[in-house]
Amino acid sequence: MNGIELLRIAVLVVYIVSGLLLSSLIVGKRIHQRRQLAHYRRRAKYLALLSRGLTTPDLRVDLGPRVAEDQAFLDALIDIRTSVIGPESDELATFVGRFGVMEGYARRLRGRLFVTRRLRAAVALAEVADDSFAPVLMDHLGDREPEIRIQAARGLARMHWTPAIDAIVDRFSVENPWVRSRFEDTLLSFGSKATWPLIAYIRVNHRFESPGSAAAIRTLANLGDRDAVTPLIDILGRASDIEIKLAAIETLGVLGVPLAFESLEKMFTAEDWRLRAKAATALAKVGDPRSLPALSSGLIDSNWWVRRNAAQGLSRYPEGIRRLHAAIRSAFPFARDAAAEALADAGEVIAARQRIEEGVPTDEDLELIEFIQSELVVPG
Amino acid sequence: MNQAAPKRILVADDSDTITTLLETALTAGGYEVLIARNGFDTYELGKSENVDLVILDHLMPGLLGLEIIERWRSEGIEVPVIVLSGVDDDRTVVSSLEVGAVDFIRKPFRLNELMARVKQRFPL
Amino acid sequence: MTLEIIKWIGYGTVAYYVVLQVYMFALALLSGYVLRRTYHTRRFGRVNEMLSSQTSPPISILIPAYNEVAGIVDSVRSMSIVGYPRFEIVVTNDGSTDGTLEALIAAFRLEKVRIPYRPDIETARIRAFYRGRGAVDITVIDKENGGRADALNAAINAARYPYVLCTDADVVMDAAALVRGMQRVVEDRERTIGVGGNIRPLNGSRVELGHLISASVPRRMIPRMQVLEYMRTFLASRPGWSAMSALPLVSGAFGIWKRSALLEVGGYKRGHLGEDLDITMRLHRHHRDKGIPYRIVYESSAVLWTEVPDNVRVLRRQRIRWHRGLMTATRDFLPMTFNPRYGALGMVTWAGFFLFEFLAPLLEVTGWVMLPLAYALGALNTETVVLMLLLALGAGLMNSLVALWLDEPYGFYTGPEDTSRLIVIAMIESFGLRQMTVLWRIRAVLGGKRTRHWGQMERKGVANLGARA
Repeated sequence: MNGIELLRIAVLVVYIVSGLLLSSLIVGKRIHQRRQLAHYRRRAKYLALLSRGLTTPDLRVDLGPRVAEDQAFLDALIDIRTSVIGPESDELATFVGRFGVMEGYARRLRGRLFVTRRLRAAVALAEVADDSFAPVLMDHLGDREPEIRIQAARGLARMHWTPAIDAIVDRFSVENPWVRSRFEDTLLSFGSKATWPLIAYIRVNHRFESPGSAAAIRTLANLGDRDAVTPLIDILGRASDIEIKLAAIETLGVLGVPLAFESLEKMFTAEDWRLRAKAATALAKVGDPRSLPALSSGLIDSNWWVRRNAAQGLSRYPEGIRRLHAAIRSAFPFARDAAAEALADAGEVIAARQRIEEGVPTDEDLELIEFIQSELVVPG
Repeated sequence: MNQAAPKRILVADDSDTITTLLETALTAGGYEVLIARNGFDTYELGKSENVDLVILDHLMPGLLGLEIIERWRSEGIEVPVIVLSGVDDDRTVVSSLEVGAVDFIRKPFRLNELMARVKQRFPL
Repeated sequence: MTLEIIKWIGYGTVAYYVVLQVYMFALALLSGYVLRRTYHTRRFGRVNEMLSSQTSPPISILIPAYNEVAGIVDSVRSMSIVGYPRFEIVVTNDGSTDGTLEALIAAFRLEKVRIPYRPDIETARIRAFYRGRGAVDITVIDKENGGRADALNAAINAARYPYVLCTDADVVMDAAALVRGMQRVVEDRERTIGVGGNIRPLNGSRVELGHLISASVPRRMIPRMQVLEYMRTFLASRPGWSAMSALPLVSGAFGIWKRSALLEVGGYKRGHLGEDLDITMRLHRHHRDKGIPYRIVYESSAVLWTEVPDNVRVLRRQRIRWHRGLMTATRDFLPMTFNPRYGALGMVTWAGFFLFEFLAPLLEVTGWVMLPLAYALGALNTETVVLMLLLALGAGLMNSLVALWLDEPYGFYTGPEDTSRLIVIAMIESFGLRQMTVLWRIRAVLGGKRTRHWGQMERKGVANLGARA
């Protein structure tokens, strides 16, 4: 084949492909649009229907079982479900369950092909199914598809299916970070029931595996169950991995129990600046006035983050505010700046300006405002 | 005010799920409902129509919910406003109340709780 | 003999152009595959949940601003209601002379403060700091003019959170973009240092106070051409590059970076005309040279809308500036070109940039000269020349159509007018518009130190774009 024949073929191919693309663009668009419009109309209809079903629960509604296969129906259902919480949405579940829809979804989920369909089925079950479908979802906590695993966990959490807690927590070490973070969120729905399974997991695993244990510790912070404080203090004492220590410090701060004060104070003298910085924030949150000396010393720590967190921490105590005002006169520029920032964040600057306007400023107010207005010299 | 006339409620949210739901529920509860889907319409309707209560979403295209309330108040429109918001943030709550809203409900909300609060505004 | 040479040069340039289009087509196929795979998961990944999740990493949104008084308030406001769990906004007023700072202070009730600012990266002189105490933490840095890179560096210095989003003052972004971008970070917290977003021209779309109401393809040709260009790169190239772990550019309009990584390489290069290309490549080089595991990815569902030049004059300046930035980058990273030590980045994407972006204008212009010459001198017969031209045009058209096709699932351009406008521009683009950009790039190569500034686009402001295009 010589050059020119090749050229002719190439030109032909290119224009045929272009023609195909062009026609599919035009035709495809029209079809897609019509489908969209129909979908939107059906969805609006279902929204109205479901809304009426919610407000007048004994309403006789004429809904065939096939309608539940309609994606528009599922969209409307999920939208209502996500806007409304509480007893009404359980009624929604029973209402929909009347049509045998959920069995259909469970069947689809168990299938092997068509990831999208399986995913949609998982979403439907997660959002609306009652707890008779919990075993199905439990089976799929270990599904091939990460998004399906996430939906399974979500559904089990919504159903408050307690046997799922251990299963979810156990997966912390094997899951990828994205799925694990979504699992962390689902555990929050279980509330304090998740506390002890998490602690058990941490106790067993913290020596061998860090990311999952650290995630478990942070989940305890989000759960806010103060029962976790004592075991965490213990774990903080035993742990050797720094990520675990950091997570424990942070969590103890969030849980805000003065009992943690001593362990946190000890961390404040650690070698690693990250531990000190986290401890500074945690000490402030714990709310124990014994923290003040430690935090004040933090203002002149060698590490910048420690200084900053210490300043922010001080601003939470009235006595700390006083010390911050004093720090404005400090010889260390960073201490001054950190103190000024913390005071501004605590609203002291506005208060000071107001008092100046009203004619009743304190010396500290004047000092603060003068410092802020002074020429900015960025330290080299 | 004529006690027999149904109370008029303006529901403002860009989500059609919320507007459909609230419209259905409120109408079933005996109220008259007006709908707005964006900030500008909300502002205009609140100004021109004689509404007794406004339920508004804090995040809408056009004007922000809080800005709408601010504008109404500065023009002397004292209609009570319930703010609905998906943003779970203390500052938003405080800002809403500071600007003149009478109530703040987080999304997702319990329908019967919302209805109860609405009823509460119109004691018989 | 010369006739032969001319003929072969003519063949050569056409062959070059065809190879370029084949490369782009292959890339488009790869990108299409990647987009399709992620489409499903993105559709059902519940943005709302991540928005209220406490596990979402905090992020600082950095906005460099120079003479942006027209739209800066709306822009910052639209960012502030993004609804992400924990974030702050840091605006750098880069020595504006039009009242940008004053507008910000008034709109957000900012007060002058002092913060413990650390100049990890050196910048032009900082004059003052301002903070707002409203619903969102806003910090404004007032400094002397130093250019976009410099302004970003100051913001990086002041940022409080471990991740930063570098963006611009005239963009329209919704919460989903930020969340989807951060999703890529959370997926692989240890390695991910950068996430690039999907930029789309805003011109012609309806925007109100920083929110996109509806998107339309602009009527005017200049912005319309750019809609197509952006589609070609953001839909048909970047997903593919990202999949090869060889993303050479995270656009300045939307770039999520790990703050510590930026500090490691010394931040943006001041005065560089293509600072976003430069920082991306430098981060690649730094991590590969040091053997640090990392990844820089592209997230197609992190969509961001921005104003693009809508007249020839401003577009020209922009393209010249881009090409000069590319020239500097090509020189700086020459050792990486075709270097197997840098994997697909060196062998495919950066090599591609060198061949198909940097050299392109030169080779193309050669073709324009050589082909007619060869024909006139009888070295090529009519049929050959016609076929070659048809091939060149057709290949370009095909790639544009592929890009349009890849755009379908996004559902932004739904009206029949939108489709027809896009098809029209795909067809007529090569009859003058493209050639115009090629000539500008030649101009960039030949010199001219004039366009050193940011590109003073007349900022119409995000609020006023409406029907202009």
